[in-house]
Parts: sequence; C-alpha cells; structure tokens
Amino acid sequence: MTERETGPALEMKNVSKRFPGTIAVDDVSFEVSPGEVHALVGENGAGKSTLMKVLAGSFDDYTGTIAVNGRVETLHSPTMAKKCGIGMIYQELSLARPISITENLLAGRLPRRGFLLDKKRAREQAQELLQHVGLDLNVDLPIEDISQHEAQLVEIAKVLGNKPSILVMDEPTSALSREEVDRLFAIIGNLKKQRIAIVYISHHLPEIFRIADRVTVMRDAKKIATKSITEVSREEIVQMMVGRSVKEFYKRSERSLGDVRLTVRGLTRLGFFHDVSFQARRGEIIGICGLSGAGRTELARVLVGLDKAEEGTIELDGKPVKGSSMAAFLEQGIAYLTEDRKIEGLCLRLAVDDNILSAIIDRLSSASVFSKSRGAPLVERLIGELAIYPPDPSRTVGNLSGGNQQKVLLAKWLASEPRVLILDEPTRGVDIGAKLTIHTSIEKLAREGCTVLLISSDLPELVGLCDRVIIMRKGHFTREMNYSECSEESLLLAANGEGSA
Amino acid sequence: MRKMEKSRLLAFSDKYRIYLLFVAVFAVMSLFAPRFFALQNMTSILNAIAMNATVAIGFTVVMICGQLDLSIGAVITFAGVLTMGLEPLLGFPGAIAVAIAGGAFVGLLNGLLVAKAKINSFIVTLGTMTILQGSIYQFSGGNSIGITTPQAFAISDFLGVSLIPLVTPRILIAILLVVAVELFLRRSRAGRNFYLVGGNKNTAWFAGINTDRYQIAAFVISGVTAAVGGICSVLVSTAATLKLGENSLMYVISATIIGGTAMSGGKGGVLRSVIAIFTLEMLYTGIILFGLGNEVKIFFAGLILAYVVLYEAYATYKHDKSLGQRPELMKEIKKRRTASGGA
Amino acid sequence: MNADSRAVRSSSFSRIVNTAGVYGIALLFLVLGLLLQLTGAIGNFLSVQNMLNIVDAVALVGIVAVGMSFVTYSGHYADMSVPTTMGFTGYICIELLRYGFLPAILGALVVGLLIGLLNGFVIGKFKANPIIWTLAVNYVTLGIIRLVWVNKQIYPDLQGSGQAAVALFDSIYRLRFFHLIGLPLVILIILVVVGQFVLTRTSFGVKLKVTGSALRAAKFSGIDVERVILVSFVLAAFTATIAGLAVTSLSRVGAWYNGAGYDFKAVTAIVIGGMTLAGGRGSILGVLGGSLIIGILNNIMTLVGIGTFSQDMVRGAIFIIVVGINAVSLRSLGRDDA
Repeated sequence: MTERETGPALEMKNVSKRFPGTIAVDDVSFEVSPGEVHALVGENGAGKSTLMKVLAGSFDDYTGTIAVNGRVETLHSPTMAKKCGIGMIYQELSLARPISITENLLAGRLPRRGFLLDKKRAREQAQELLQHVGLDLNVDLPIEDISQHEAQLVEIAKVLGNKPSILVMDEPTSALSREEVDRLFAIIGNLKKQRIAIVYISHHLPEIFRIADRVTVMRDAKKIATKSITEVSREEIVQMMVGRSVKEFYKRSERSLGDVRLTVRGLTRLGFFHDVSFQARRGEIIGICGLSGAGRTELARVLVGLDKAEEGTIELDGKPVKGSSMAAFLEQGIAYLTEDRKIEGLCLRLAVDDNILSAIIDRLSSASVFSKSRGAPLVERLIGELAIYPPDPSRTVGNLSGGNQQKVLLAKWLASEPRVLILDEPTRGVDIGAKLTIHTSIEKLAREGCTVLLISSDLPELVGLCDRVIIMRKGHFTREMNYSECSEESLLLAANGEGSA
Repeated sequence: MRKMEKSRLLAFSDKYRIYLLFVAVFAVMSLFAPRFFALQNMTSILNAIAMNATVAIGFTVVMICGQLDLSIGAVITFAGVLTMGLEPLLGFPGAIAVAIAGGAFVGLLNGLLVAKAKINSFIVTLGTMTILQGSIYQFSGGNSIGITTPQAFAISDFLGVSLIPLVTPRILIAILLVVAVELFLRRSRAGRNFYLVGGNKNTAWFAGINTDRYQIAAFVISGVTAAVGGICSVLVSTAATLKLGENSLMYVISATIIGGTAMSGGKGGVLRSVIAIFTLEMLYTGIILFGLGNEVKIFFAGLILAYVVLYEAYATYKHDKSLGQRPELMKEIKKRRTASGGA
Repeated sequence: MNADSRAVRSSSFSRIVNTAGVYGIALLFLVLGLLLQLTGAIGNFLSVQNMLNIVDAVALVGIVAVGMSFVTYSGHYADMSVPTTMGFTGYICIELLRYGFLPAILGALVVGLLIGLLNGFVIGKFKANPIIWTLAVNYVTLGIIRLVWVNKQIYPDLQGSGQAAVALFDSIYRLRFFHLIGLPLVILIILVVVGQFVLTRTSFGVKLKVTGSALRAAKFSGIDVERVILVSFVLAAFTATIAGLAVTSLSRVGAWYNGAGYDFKAVTAIVIGGMTLAGGRGSILGVLGGSLIIGILNNIMTLVGIGTFSQDMVRGAIFIIVVGINAVSLRSLGRDDA
C-alpha cells in the first residue's frame, strides 16, 4: 500500500473560525481515514456544526489547513468543497419539493441527447442512484409526494451521486424509527466498504458506539480528545463533553409538590398523537422525552391552544380549559416556549424589552392604552435574574448571542407568570453558562409553584431536572419514569421503544 | 401505497384539470350558446386570445420561477404604442425591433432588481408598471396612434387574413411561440432549470445553476412575449389605443393559475396557461353571446381572478394544517374506529 | 459572554432622527422650489395660492397614506383596492344623497368598511398574497361599478337630492376654515395625530409592530394576528373612503376613475416617509412627511413644466430607488429585507 492509500482522507490542522466578538472553532485538528466512521460529538454550541460548515466551504475566512486525500485545498465556497469530494448531508433537506426525484438527483446535469433531454437515461440514472440507498420508487414523483424518511434517503442518494470521498452526516437519525436507523446503518456499512470516509455527528451515544470507529469530543470551540471507540466509555465521553462529572452538573432539587394542577385525558390529534393521558402537580417538573417525530411538539401545541385536539380533555386546577386560541390559553395561565427561537420565538428585529413584553401586551394596557413604563421594572428584574448580557433593554435581540437570545425568550414567558409552562428544547444552541442560568431559573419557577413540562432531547438535562419523565414514541405515550429510574441510557432506550421498567 | 395512489390522483387532476375544464366549457358553450360555432365567432375568439396567449407564455415562465410580473399590461401597450409611433420614422421592421427591445429592456430591469437587489417581484413590477404607464402617455400625448402609410396598411391586411380557416398569421405566431417555449421548458436542460430555480432556489444554487441569470432571463422572456403580443395586436387593429393591455394582467394571472401554475413556483406549464386563456375566453364570449353586456364580462373576469387567488391561498392553508401527519397513525385510528364501530 | 460587540442600537433616538430626516428632505425641496423661483426658472412657488395647492394635494394623498400605512406596518405591503374603493364609495354617497347628507356619508363608510373586512379576512386568515388579492378586489369592484352604473358618471344635483344635502356634500372639499385651511387638511391632521397615537401608544399598535416585525413569533406570543391584520385593512379602507368622498366632492361627479393612481401615490409616500415594506418600522409622522415630499415635488415638477405623465415616471422611479436603497442598506446592516 502506498502512502497515499493509507493516509487520511481528510486532515484538518489547526483550523480556527472567528465571528465578530466570538470564536466558534479554536485551533482544532481533526482527521478521518478512508473507510472510517469518525463520530464528532459535543454539546450544542461546542463548535462541531461550525467545524463542518468550514469543511463544507461556507466560509472564506478560516485559518489553518485542510487536506483532502493528501492535497491541501482552500475550501472557500460550497462548489469548491464539492469538487474536492466532500459531501454534506444536513438535517434540513436541500431538495426542491415540487420537483421530481429524478430532477432533484440529477440537478444541473440531466443527461442530454443533442439539445434535448434524454428522459429514459435520466430515469435509469436516477433509479440506479436510489438503489445505492435501497430505495425503489417511481422516480417521476415530486418530493412533496413521498414520505419524510424516503426524502432523506433521496438526499443521501443525491450527495452520493457526486461520488464524494468524504461524507459528513449531521444528526441523520433524529427523525428515524428503529428500522429506518438499521437501514441507514446498513447503507453506511456499504459506504465503508467503498472506502468513503464518514464524519458522523450525533447526540445518540448508543448509536455512536454501534457505528463509529473513533470519536472526537469538542467543547467550547476546542477539541478535547480523540479516542478509539473501544478505548472509551459512555461516561467518559459525557464527561469530556460537559467538562465535569455529570452527577455534579445537574442537581435535582427537592421540592414539595402541590396538588394536581394539569390533567390530560385521552388527548388525540388525528395523525399526530393519539390517546395521551397524564397528570402534573404544582411545582413539578415533568420531562417529555422522545425521538424527533414522536409527537412531543404537536402535543405541546395542543396543550397551549395553538392546535385543536379532536378527542380528549385538558383540565387546569380541576376545571376544563376554555377557549380555542393561544391567547385564551395564555390568559388561563398556560404558556409555551417554542422550539425554534429565531422565527417562532423572538422578534429578532425588535429590542429586548419589546420582546420580553410581547406576550403580556394586554395586561400592561388599560383601556387599550399601552404603558411600556409599567413593564420596565419587570424587564429590568428579568434581565438581572437571567443575567442577560448586555443588560440593555433597548438592544436589538438579533445581535445577541444564542444563549442570551434564549434567555430573552425565557424571560418573555416568565413575565407572563404562567401556571403551566411548557418548554420546548430550552437550551438548544446555548452555551454552558446560559444553560446553567436557564436551569436555575426553571428550578426556581417550579419551586414557586409553577408546573413545568420540559420537552428536551438533551438527556442529561432531563435526568438532572425532572421529577418524572414521560416517554413518547410515534405519537403514543408509552411510559412514565420516576426520576430514580432515569438515566441517559434508560431514557434513550425507552425513547427507542426498548428496555423495561 | 394507498397514499401514493391518492396523491398521484391529485397530481393528475392538478396537471390535467385545465384540459378537463376546457372540454367542459366547450361542451356547455357549444350546446347552449347561440351561434357559438359560427365561423366569425370562432375567429374572433382566436384573435382575442392571440394576444393574451402570447403574453401568458412569458408570464408563466416568470411564475414557474416563483415570481410575478405585474408590468405585462403596461409592456403590451408600450410596445404597441412604440410600434405605431415609430413606424413613420423607421418603418415597420425598425419599429418592431425597437418595441421588442423595449420589452426586453423592461424585463431586464425587472429581473435585475428582483435577482440582484432582492426586492419582491410584485413591488418591482408595480413600480415599472407605473413608470411605463407614465411614459406611454408621455410618448403618445394621450392619444391613440394609428398607422398612416399605405405600406403599413398592406402589412396589416396581410396579417389579418386567414391563411386557413380560423388561423391568421397572428394566431400562427402565437401557436409557434407556445410550441417552442413548451418544448424548451419540458425537454431541454435549461428549461428544466427554470423549474428547479422556482422549486427551491438553494437546491438550484448548490447544483451549480446561476439562479440570478435564470430569474433575469425569465423576466426578459416575459417582457419580450408581452411586447410581441402588443405588437401583433396593434398591427392587425391598425391603431394603438392606450387601453390595449388594460385587462391583460387580470386575464393572464387568472389563466395561469387556473392552468395549474402555482405562485409558489416549480410547477406548471405554458401550454396549460394558453388552454386556460382559451377556456376563459370561451366563457367570456359565451356571456356576450347569451346577451349579457360587456360589463358582466369584466365583472366575471374580476370574480374569477378573486376566486382563483382565494382558492390557491385556501389550498395552501389547508395543506399547512395537515403538515406532519403520520400516515400510520391515521391508519391505526381507522382500524380502531371500524373495530369499535362493529362492536 | 459571547456578546456581539458590533451590536446596533435600536433606540427611539434613531427613530426621531429618521423622522426628522424626512422632514428635512421636505424642507430641502421647499428650498429647492424657492431657489428655482428666485432664479426665474419657475413662477410663483412661494405664493399663498401655490402653497394652498400643495397642501390640498398633500391632504388627499396623506389621508389615504395614513390608513394604508397600517397595512404596510403589519408587513402586508399595500392595499391595491384603494382606487376603486375611492370611486365606489363616491358613487354610493351620491346615490344616497337623496336620503340626506348623513345617511349618504354613513352608507359610503359602511361600504368601505365591508371592503376592508373582506380584504382583512382573506389576507389575515388564508394568507393570500396581499398585492394580488387587493388587485383582484380592485377589479371586482370595478366590475361592480361598471355593472351598476354602466360607465355613466353621476352627478349629485341630478340625483333628485335636496339642496341642503348637495351643498353639504360640496362643502366636503370646499369648506375652508379661516379662508385657508380646507376640511381635508383638518381631517388629515386629526388622522395623523390619532394614527400616531394608536400606532405608538395603544395595545393594538404594539401588537401591530410585533406582527409586522415577526409574524410567526407574534402568533406564538398569543397575539391574535388575524384580527390585527383585519383591523389594519379596515383602517386602510376607512381612510380610502374618506379620501374618496373628498375627491368626489372636488370633482362633483361620481366616476370610477376618481381614485386612480392613489394606491401608488400612497405607497410611495409611505416608503419615502421611512416605513419599510417589510413591516414593523416607521411612523405616521414619517408618512406625513413622505406625503409632504411627494406633494412638494409634484408641485415643483408641474411648475417647471414637466407633464403629468412624466411625473408618473419620476414617481415610479423614485419608488423603486427608495425601495432598492432600503433593501440594500438594511441587508448590509444584517437586518431584514424591504
């Protein structure tokens, strides 16, 4: 074997990427061999997404060297990256929905015969590409007519069509069922045999142990360590990700729980979740755990009045919740911190105080006259309580860091003084310091008697904060676990539908 | 698999509903409208649609790209006025060339502002429409311009004469353009790229397609076809009135959407838009034949546009509501219901 | 910890500077007119009569613009059904004059209200494209006008209405306080004051701002976005009706073209006045300033001898330029597009 064959397929040396005011990737060196699956793990905001974006050619101002198959390349544009044989598979699909599978797969390079298209050859090529991912579909169908899972496979087929030597997969299994994950791993197995180097970004530790050869942990923009998967344990990885022992980091406080506040019975929204029932007490923090697509957000949306359930009841303090709009539910004390903070949560163009007060406009108005000054002390208190930086109420939210934006979003809902607060991924994309602050705030809220429902895919967060965890899977409520039964492993197993009490 | 079949049925009806509609209206009209099959009626229908059909070609391309061109009405009149006004100076060939260049130029301006300055297309084309309207009036002094020279009359006569029953040269031009553009869109790589740009700009971009260029091209095509439509119309009627393109926008938008091209882009077709124009024109002519006045026709045209816009908005609204529904869950509920129903 | 040091402040101070800037430009144009007069290029610019002309024109455009700016502020660009709303309500008013002045005015207002409700409902609930939908409504209303009045123009005194009613109607446009200030101007000032108050100090105004800045976030904050949009279109139709009555009073005839061009004039005034088409930014005072600039500019162009149609071209060009500048500059600052 020549040196080139045994050398790494990808070698990133001392790569750094700065943004104004912050550094996202700090002197990271990372390499992948051909035919290897190298897992890249780290908390949200650790820098792994940015590192991969550098590889994808999204920036033209990174420092350090990147060598592909032994040759140093300057990856200053996505086209460059593609030419160097780097293929990226993101969570958000890059397919055009009204366009057929064929035209998506062969975009820009549809086969021609003279001046006209060769439709027969196009179909054949498309079918061949689909075979690589084990799909057998009518390739004339537009993407909007196939299932989400099939679309993801089409996306993979599309990237494979460019014959990449390096493949980066970003959270590929977050929306998949068990069978679909197995299918995907089989495809990855094939790719390994073809000597393609794979970077696998994921939060699912069990999966990583199943599929990866090596694992690299990132934290706070730096690389912490690279280990062979056989030489490291789950706890060690988590410890490296978090920076301290898990048990230390999340402390579940003892709280006295009050009466039952929220009763949900047989709640069903056709096609989204069926027959969900549970109870929640005052001061309780209940986690809702499940894989992406399990129906957690859909459940939350019904619980706060955004969508309507076809069957079932919701009772607050013994009385059925009235009305059918989010405003009505908010009036009665049920609030919802949305999963997405940039489009659904915050008004990025407006100031911090405008955002914090945006859910209680009517409460601050008498006879329709709005008094911003009435809300000023509240804004100040929340800025202080959540350590929002910079502590300037008139600053545009769009210019704050991710963690501070999330804190503003939380402040907005704290300002509404809810009786039940549903949080959907409250610490996603947030730095460690902000995460701690948010957790402290959640605990405080519960101690003051609020009922908190915490939807999260951050397993340590669920383990650390919750009194009970409800597991949802494919639209069903499968089981309930007491905090004593909760560990990252048990939660993950339950979310996947395995494991027993 | 059931879902596949159901959605395929919907897709089929989406694609072909305009043909079904066409047949239906044709049947109704031929059965009930007096003198529908009279040659004169048929000819007048075909001539009326010749202009709007030509314009609809370019407009459809713009819509396939996911944009809107509100300036087409103004371009029609503009091109017509230019042709008539410049004929004494440059003769018809010269005047026509200038008029087409004018249409292309407007399209270029629209395209640049939309693609490069990234302003919403309906805002941009609203602006260019206003500018054009002003310049039309400025150029013509507020009057219609007629042709004066005998040669001009001769040419216009030629264009107005039927070569074969029903088909005048003007209609022939329209037919040729439709066929050419439709073939281009369906069977050439560049044509398919228009669809891709409209379907998902990012997908097209990452596939190496220069999306700006395609969007600009779409607007230029729209400007050119609008100009051609105006020119042909004016040549036959021998005068350019200032109201030439007045109602075109309304007709063309309605027809394009009815024909299955969505404002969201990525789907549709030129042939379908033209068939839709044909269908609508049959409907409108039928109204006149039934003895109802011109006003009723205009009212109906507006109503149809409103209905079409509302329909598309409502369809999107309904679709968004059921986004994310899991088919297995729906099946499960059905099973449970039938089981308990029988018990 | 990771704060962006390049953060741009959005303070009320910058908003005041913005509005002041608009009036500054208006002042600049006044000075320009004065200069042109002094150099003999144009005739009586600074005469009382000319100033009154400007003010009268500004009043009409301004009234329409104030109402429409609520639609723009909500992020829904503009209401293109204004021209036929103006004409239609004019027709209605004249037809109803035979029953008295007050019933006629009320009738017109009700019709305008209905149009606004229709627009607001379809756009608010079904998210139809505002420009296309209101254009469609424009055509339909035109069709109704053509259907009912069949190209006829109707005159107040020929409708068999009482003298008093007609005189009152006439006076809508012609009434002058202190021989100077016309009723439309008074109405405009009232609308501006009330409008500015509503926009900045009422709960509706704040909700409108949130809706215009981030529609989905507004919805998820418990704001009834559909209702907010409904009200903004009703306001646009309301002011369009008032302006329609004024214009019809001016021309003393009910005609479908009474409102022609006002949609575009209003949008241009709004955009020049600092309100971006993306929504959530700007002020009513700015819109007034924009109307002033348009009015003064029109006047200067007329005095210089530029024909009305060329003026259209200039206005169209200015519109595109302003929107373009907004789009480019806001994007380079890292903010939303226009």
